Amino acid sequence: MISKKLAAEVINVASQTGADFVEIFAENSFNTYLEVENGKVEETRNSNISGVGLRLLKGTQSVYGSTGDISRKSLLELAKELSASFNGQKQIEDVKSFKLKKHKNFNTPSTPLTSIPTEKIISLLKEINSVLSSHDKRIVKSTTAMIIKTNDNEIFNSKGLMFKNYREYGRFIIESVASENGKIETRFDGPATQGGWEFFTKTLDLKALAKENAEKVILMLQAKEAPSGKFPVIIGNGWGGVIFHEACGHQLEATSVAKGMSVFSGKKGEQIANPIVSAYDDPTIPNEWGSFNVDDEGNQPVKHELIKNGILTGYLIDDFNGRRMNEAGNGASRRQSYKYEPTSRMSNTYIAPGKSTPEEIIKNTKLALYAVSFGGGSVNPATGEFNFGCSEAYIVKDGKITEPVRGATLVGNARDILMHIDMVGNDLALGQGMCGSSSGNIPVNVGQPTIRVDEIVVGGRGGSIYEF
Amino acid sequence: MNFKKFFELAKLNGLESADIEEVRSKSLSIEIFKGEIVSYSVSIDKNFTARGIYNGKMGFVSVESDDKSTPEYIVKTIKEAASLNESSDEAIIFKGSPKYKKKRVYNERLSSFGAEEAIKMLHEIEDKLYAKSDKIKDVEVGFSLSDNSSVLANSYGLNLKTKNNYFYFYAEIVLSENENETKSAFDIFFDNDLDKFDLDKFVDELVEKGLSKLNGESIESGKHKIVLKENCVASLLAAAISNASSESVQKHSSVFEGKLNQKIFSSKITIEERPLEKNLFYTYFDDECVATCNKKIIDKGVLKTFFYNLATAKKDGVETTGNARGRGSKMGIGFTNIFLKPGKLSEEQLFEKIEEGVYVTSLAGLHAGLNPVSGDFSLQAEGFHIKGGKLGKALKLFTLSGNLFKVFNDVIALGNNSKLLSSSINSVSMAVKNLKISAE
Repeated sequence: MISKKLAAEVINVASQTGADFVEIFAENSFNTYLEVENGKVEETRNSNISGVGLRLLKGTQSVYGSTGDISRKSLLELAKELSASFNGQKQIEDVKSFKLKKHKNFNTPSTPLTSIPTEKIISLLKEINSVLSSHDKRIVKSTTAMIIKTNDNEIFNSKGLMFKNYREYGRFIIESVASENGKIETRFDGPATQGGWEFFTKTLDLKALAKENAEKVILMLQAKEAPSGKFPVIIGNGWGGVIFHEACGHQLEATSVAKGMSVFSGKKGEQIANPIVSAYDDPTIPNEWGSFNVDDEGNQPVKHELIKNGILTGYLIDDFNGRRMNEAGNGASRRQSYKYEPTSRMSNTYIAPGKSTPEEIIKNTKLALYAVSFGGGSVNPATGEFNFGCSEAYIVKDGKITEPVRGATLVGNARDILMHIDMVGNDLALGQGMCGSSSGNIPVNVGQPTIRVDEIVVGGRGGSIYEF
Repeated sequence: MNFKKFFELAKLNGLESADIEEVRSKSLSIEIFKGEIVSYSVSIDKNFTARGIYNGKMGFVSVESDDKSTPEYIVKTIKEAASLNESSDEAIIFKGSPKYKKKRVYNERLSSFGAEEAIKMLHEIEDKLYAKSDKIKDVEVGFSLSDNSSVLANSYGLNLKTKNNYFYFYAEIVLSENENETKSAFDIFFDNDLDKFDLDKFVDELVEKGLSKLNGESIESGKHKIVLKENCVASLLAAAISNASSESVQKHSSVFEGKLNQKIFSSKITIEERPLEKNLFYTYFDDECVATCNKKIIDKGVLKTFFYNLATAKKDGVETTGNARGRGSKMGIGFTNIFLKPGKLSEEQLFEKIEEGVYVTSLAGLHAGLNPVSGDFSLQAEGFHIKGGKLGKALKLFTLSGNLFKVFNDVIALGNNSKLLSSSINSVSMAVKNLKISAE
């Protein structure tokens, strides 16, 4: 990408005016997208992301620049332009050489997706596509796609350290559109991994997943409108963890905590959740979608305990925001690409398993919405107000799952929602998604066992839940 | 990259025709927090997107790196992608429109606006915001300046250029009066003419917006008459008219299928696309080099046209409308500068008109809570009571649910407060019949 000699020259120019830390993030990554729609290859897309990000820190001030032009002239110009933001004396010594810092590889060996012939991937896409399209004639559009994304970067910093990092991400998209009598329903599944080809051909049963996708889109096409009001909700495992991601995870990132712009700023050691709730963020789980061997400022990732028995025990901290908090970064710094200044972000975040079986939770519930699958959500960390939209839900009545309902959105406030979790299941699972925030879109896992929330506001287009 | 050499290489490798676009942009972003510059970033971007026809099929690629090997890599990748392509869409590289309506939108004065001056203004905004009320606990203010240029050329000798620049100021305030309630308010001002930015007005409006949100009262779940603020109307409108994409219609995933020249919305609704309007979103050609044109999409509730690109137009036997979008990928459909025709009433008159109801000022969770295909939505909302025809108190958190297509059929009246939003939609406030509210 760029030579060590040039990296040192750029860092030394950038630190002339008083920066106390300078870092270069050089990247050359590739994306491939292969799509089969209604049995035909409709799109094969390739793109390349290539450039350098340069960051200068001085106390709690940060200056960042990125350029796609990685010539010596361009990088030195950028270094000069950025260093002009400070007007002090040189504080740190010139870098003469870099020591390559090795890191542990958490992932187990697998066959890289980039080594699989495109024809072989297309054949798999067509096979799974036919499962969707042949299921029911009401399915009017079936799409299967594979996304392969590499993230290849090198980090150099003014401490004379160098880090190399290569990640390969793979995602299999299954999407169906069903239509009947003017009603249209869509369903999306997108299992994703850093575990290579074997994840899609051995770990997963893609045919079964496609069959379930097709069955559920037809089921939800016929479902009644979800009820509205405030009542208990059982939230399914895996993707249900998006509630913790939105309602709590973002507010534990130093990005908002450091400035006091989070509802959980200064709350360490306080009870913020029901004592049956413990939660973690773990970037070290082998092959997982949100994992990394080294974070995007070169730090070693660790498993973070966030909540233990309802007590807030930790935040996710990057080096820069850590300065404001008087705490060291803890390996949680991430960015989409060289174009983004890194900041603290989640990785694989989950509520730890409890003691109840999912069956017990349902059996012990008189009347509730059972939200199984979600389209996503969003939160304002400053106010704590969040929302998330269900894509698959049912009514639970007298301990039994009764009928499917569509179109429910749950809203609440992070301040109290975790206190309202009154049952935690033993069936922890993870679900993959993309998380968007100030340092771009990054792969994350959300996760949880089945949980029950004793009350939350549900917005549906149907009437009262008592009418079911 | 030398385009001529690229086209020569493309021809040598058997590409029947090709096009390539180079986009360059430079942007500066600054953020201030508690008197300190917490973020200062400069970004210099360069990107090439190219397409080519090989054996009658289209292939495409997007590249950032620019060295000696780049033209070869582009041609090779286009050939590989074209060889795999099984789409029934006809592959067309357009020779060029007879006429293009090119206007100058670049503001030279803005290009010389320096960071120092921006920082001074950010400090001023921050200081003024804190000084307005002790209920304002935190303030985050930022500025961004962007300068962009592009060249789109094809192997038939067409060469189209664009150049634009713009800036925006934004601020978020966090307010609270007691420990149990925190509210925030955000505002953004964008333009390419700095003289239009009224700093004091920006500060005053943001503070008023923030303070009005405190001490919210509850509302009963159920159906209410609603006045939707222009930004909420714009969000719903964008989702609704995405169904006018000819691609969605041809793939049977649009409720507008078979509805051309039929009444789909209230006769109070007229929607135009005006890509040639001289503002920040002005664009005189689409991603296939077709000249754009202003047109009515919905006239008094009647659907007048779908949005077309070359391939979808060919399928329907009509002319393209210049709505191709998707450099670097399969050509899709897009739109810009959407104008919702204003009504005659001010917002206050809209409140009087519905007497009792809810004024919805913000909607959140659109990506998960709104299905643009079915039109069903259930969204996190903020707003105020409307009582006795007047604006009342703020409301606690609630959800607003309904169906997009029904909303634009159930129009009571439209406001006269036309505003261009950053989504390139010119929107107005709108009073609608019953929508469902769910709350505590």
